[in-house]
Amino acid sequence: MTQRRFDRPLSRASFAIGTELANATMLNNSPTMEDLDGGMASEVEREEEESVTHLLRDRFRLCTISIAEAEAKQCGMEVSQPIITCISDLAFKFAAHRNDHLTTLLRSFCNDLKAREPNLERKRKKNSRKEGRVAQGLLRTPDT
Amino acid sequence: MEKEITFDPDLIHEIFKLAWKRKAAERGKNELSENMESEVGASSSKRSRPTFANANALKLSAELLRSFVAEAIQRAATIAEAEGSTKIEATHLERILPQLLLDF
Repeated sequence: MTQRRFDRPLSRASFAIGTELANATMLNNSPTMEDLDGGMASEVEREEEESVTHLLRDRFRLCTISIAEAEAKQCGMEVSQPIITCISDLAFKFAAHRNDHLTTLLRSFCNDLKAREPNLERKRKKNSRKEGRVAQGLLRTPDT
Repeated sequence: MEKEITFDPDLIHEIFKLAWKRKAAERGKNELSENMESEVGASSSKRSRPTFANANALKLSAELLRSFVAEAIQRAATIAEAEGSTKIEATHLERILPQLLLDF
């Protein structure tokens, strides 16, 4: 997968988009805080959530360090600490924002299914009533 | 056989819950402002229901994130190796990040 993706040429537009994203992450040391912070009701709640975010990000970073160092070792390379920090922050943002997009898609899909559900439910009940009548008919065998 | 290092599903779940909580709060504020504008009573929107994720979804999410990290390292390592370097630096990561972010 890796080799195939590398061989494919990158268009100017896609390179520009990707570079912007990469630069924004590399220059900003704590992008995740701004992304997750959206306006809290009280200052206390805001501080609490910030501390929770910090803790989760630090735990996430520790895991990323282990994974990144293991991968680099497999490739016979070393990896510098700022690189791991950058990858960790990107992956953390990916977990928060990509999940949001997926949740939205799944939620709308679920709502679509539920909108169709009344018709399906009526059909199911109709079929089960029919089956019930047939079964009753079979049970009531006349005495010979 | 060496066990593959990956993210803890519980940690991933905590991150998701934080993001969902934030999103639910924003959604609640938006609904409140919409209801006030349309002069309707208490909001009974189905969108305010909490989000859950089962164990398999969390495992898959952890694996996706592990793949993201692994792919970033492998691609940057390829660039570093092509340049004759044994250490992955920022310049190597910069060159692979655009395509990586578009691929994921």
